[in-house]
Amino acid sequence: MPLLNKGELRALLERELPGALDRAKPTNPYGAAEATHHLEVVDTASDTMGDTSPPPATSEAAAERQAEVVDKEEPSVPPLSDDDAVVRAERILDVALFLRDQFGYNFLSRVTPVDYPAYGIIEVVYHFYRIEGGPGQVVRVRVPRDNAVIPSITPIWPGANLEERVCYDLFGVHFPGHPYHKRIYMWDEFEGHPMRKDFEKIGDSYYHFKWKGEGGEE
Amino acid sequence: MLKTEELQINIGPQHPSTHGVFRLMATVDGETVVHLEPVFGYLHRNHEQLGEIWTYLQTITITDRLDYFNSMINEHGYCMTVEKLAGIEVPERAEYIRVIMSELSRILNHAAALGFWLQDMGSWGTTLMFGFRQREMIMDIFESVGGSRMMCNYMRFGGAARDITPNIVEQIQLFLEGFPQFIDDFERLMMDNEILLARSRNVGVLPKELAASYSVSGPVIRASGIPYDIRKAEPYSIYDRFTFDIPVGTVGDVYDRFLVRMEEMRQSHRILQQALEQLPQASGSYINQAYKAASKQQGLRPPAGEAYCRVESPKGELGYYIVSNGGNTAYRYGIRAPSLINLTALNDMCRGYKVADIVVILGSIDIVMGEVDR
Amino acid sequence: MTATPEQQTTTQTALRPVGGGGVVVVERKQPRQSYGQGIAKGMGVVIRHFAKSFTTRIDDKSDQVGMFTVEYPEERMELPEAYRNMPILLYDDKTGQELCTSCFQCERICPPKVIHITQAKDPNTGKPVPAAEEFVIEYDSCMSCGLCHEVCPFDAIKMDHFFELSTHDHLSMDRNKAVLDRPISYYQAIAPNLWAAVEANAMKKLQNNIKRRPGNIGVAPHMIGKAQKALPTAGAGGARPAAGARTAAPVAAMGKNMPPEKVERLKSIRAANAAKRGGAVPSAEETLLAASAYTSATASPESGLHTAESDAGLAPSPATTPAPATGPVAAVGQNMAEDKKARLEAIRAAKRAQRGDE
Repeated sequence: MPLLNKGELRALLERELPGALDRAKPTNPYGAAEATHHLEVVDTASDTMGDTSPPPATSEAAAERQAEVVDKEEPSVPPLSDDDAVVRAERILDVALFLRDQFGYNFLSRVTPVDYPAYGIIEVVYHFYRIEGGPGQVVRVRVPRDNAVIPSITPIWPGANLEERVCYDLFGVHFPGHPYHKRIYMWDEFEGHPMRKDFEKIGDSYYHFKWKGEGGEE
Repeated sequence: MLKTEELQINIGPQHPSTHGVFRLMATVDGETVVHLEPVFGYLHRNHEQLGEIWTYLQTITITDRLDYFNSMINEHGYCMTVEKLAGIEVPERAEYIRVIMSELSRILNHAAALGFWLQDMGSWGTTLMFGFRQREMIMDIFESVGGSRMMCNYMRFGGAARDITPNIVEQIQLFLEGFPQFIDDFERLMMDNEILLARSRNVGVLPKELAASYSVSGPVIRASGIPYDIRKAEPYSIYDRFTFDIPVGTVGDVYDRFLVRMEEMRQSHRILQQALEQLPQASGSYINQAYKAASKQQGLRPPAGEAYCRVESPKGELGYYIVSNGGNTAYRYGIRAPSLINLTALNDMCRGYKVADIVVILGSIDIVMGEVDR
Repeated sequence: MTATPEQQTTTQTALRPVGGGGVVVVERKQPRQSYGQGIAKGMGVVIRHFAKSFTTRIDDKSDQVGMFTVEYPEERMELPEAYRNMPILLYDDKTGQELCTSCFQCERICPPKVIHITQAKDPNTGKPVPAAEEFVIEYDSCMSCGLCHEVCPFDAIKMDHFFELSTHDHLSMDRNKAVLDRPISYYQAIAPNLWAAVEANAMKKLQNNIKRRPGNIGVAPHMIGKAQKALPTAGAGGARPAAGARTAAPVAAMGKNMPPEKVERLKSIRAANAAKRGGAVPSAEETLLAASAYTSATASPESGLHTAESDAGLAPSPATTPAPATGPVAAVGQNMAEDKKARLEAIRAAKRAQRGDE
């Protein structure tokens, strides 16, 4: 089975699995340069989807958020990578099977969610490798933060089982179809998803040292 | 006919043979396991978020605490990922030092893991002490190079914290001299042991086809007959310079995992001998001189982008995924923890065996809770 | 376990030929027919090791059989120079001037954020002075990563080798400057090579900094009043340990269960050593006095500063007698004497020859 080069998968998916690629390119609506574009469609010619793209923020909301951003001085947001195949959430299973059966990428190394509050999305990155060796393939899925739903690939790839539970527990990405869709690290009653960027950090109450005059004991 | 009823029993989290605070909910039918549900989180400390709060250099110190049996390989993988992200070159000598430390770490891990596994079977510490003695010698080496026995904090971006002196090389050579006798003793101690054979042969079988789809890695997948080793599959560092074999099993049971680990220690010994032979010819310094100062490492700001690197840890495939936003802390720091993902197959491996086999199978996966719960 | 590679190596075509080597299939043993043989074989190994432990003492690390126990706390293993436990601060033996300039590099790099520094100010002008007014390290949350001593540009903060730090409470583990201060000679004793590598640079920087420190600012608390005004020079960092003698890292504290004659002997040796070293070493009482301002209010007698032994009147603990004692506590592997080294070499050579014959 032929080895795929880095950009090759994108072209292949376009040809073999029409409608699987996610063409909506989320932009940072609060960034200085692209303040007016919320949703930028890269290729308009064959675009028939867009239903899973993040909802465009209203201008007032954007202004509000921008004010917040300025206040907090959040660190800059990394640009979204567009070399790799970005796949629509509901087609991830097709793409994963396509990769495995047609090209022999039969080892799922990792499912990693990355939270991008500035773009309003959570990106879930799938790393596929071959058991025979060689470089891997990256498949990305971008889902809106407030409605993060991706079909579970656990029925086909049992190796994703615990990784998807981690995604759900720490990032709040839902995986319908998962056989045991429960929190993995936090307890069941826990509210919120601690790895999201906007999760309130309580801090460490252990450090007891205080200088004199700051409420220190000496 | 006698009517039986399924019963749910709880094993752990405070149990000596669960290798940490690990809990298992076992559904049993008589003595036979019907279903097994691992419960995690008793050692969870949101390690990945800590990696987003601390700078890149500070995060090296907590990668040691992931899988605390092989801190050197954890550091190796992490430093490789940041180097890839920031485009830092590693001098040849530094690569040799890293490989030497990684392979020592692999021997350390397997020696201790097999000892613990035998202890789970009821050999009450004898084999564990044999393994621990060897581990102790390696930890003495780590102490001389890194300053600490377990939390070495030795690797740096572009190399290592300090050079290995001739004194330390001699120490490693002494260790390698004694190693064949150790592994022979270790083997004679348990290889023919009837109890071991009875409890491990054809127990916890993971077939070849299942192993790949479960994404298990390390000795577990190799015991199932798939020669998947990152050092060969996608060679990192300078592993393409050494001659070594990948041991694979045939059945995929607990016994094969034990045999694979024994053979892996021998192969690590081979790599170490070659590495020590080639070390004097290696060019360059122990660290990339441009990044030698700790303050430079502290202020490291890789350009925005992402990197994913995998290394072969003794537990399996250890991967680091880092997204940088150009700042001095990672935007996202994710870890593929081999111990966690190898546990995915635990339910299938245990189903149909007796309750007493659970601890043997769990011991053969070789988990460390610091990495599972991270 | 495995057969020779010629017999069993099967190089798979799918695997790319990288480096050398292929795939080895591990050989599975069949259980023996007569039960008990395998266990007996394993017991044979155990018995051999057990019997040898009475007759053989391991000197060479490549030895596998024999006794290797070190009877802590009477005996101690030699700690490698690079060993790191908790951070300490260095000051110059003669002038008492601390090397720290409160540049805050260590405070910034500290991963668990346990270092707290305030900068000294000139009382007359109010301008900052390159010296630390107070320096606190929370020992209880320190993770001993050693980044602080790696980043310090003035080599003022170093990692100690003293590891017996257990106390009853957390509060006494907040160590302030008076408790953290150690003379350079102490560090020289525990890590001679590491100090030699940085000594010239550190002393040069110290001289520059002393010029900018008015009065007693920057002098280690217990050295105030007896500091010599002379500027230190590189190499004159106080009592140097005798050349070649690798002194043991922190002196073994004398245990309560030691025989009395041994305690007496130790005491006399230590006294002799202290006399030899001269006045550069603060006595336990002085350090305690200096530190008491910080901990007297809350710390219980046995907590606070780790000087429980000195209170007991036996001997000052390593923390308060920072200078080295040249190995009075006889320990195997502690002071590798020359003759022992030679003997080891002979043993090794003999072994090599033996192997060659085979």
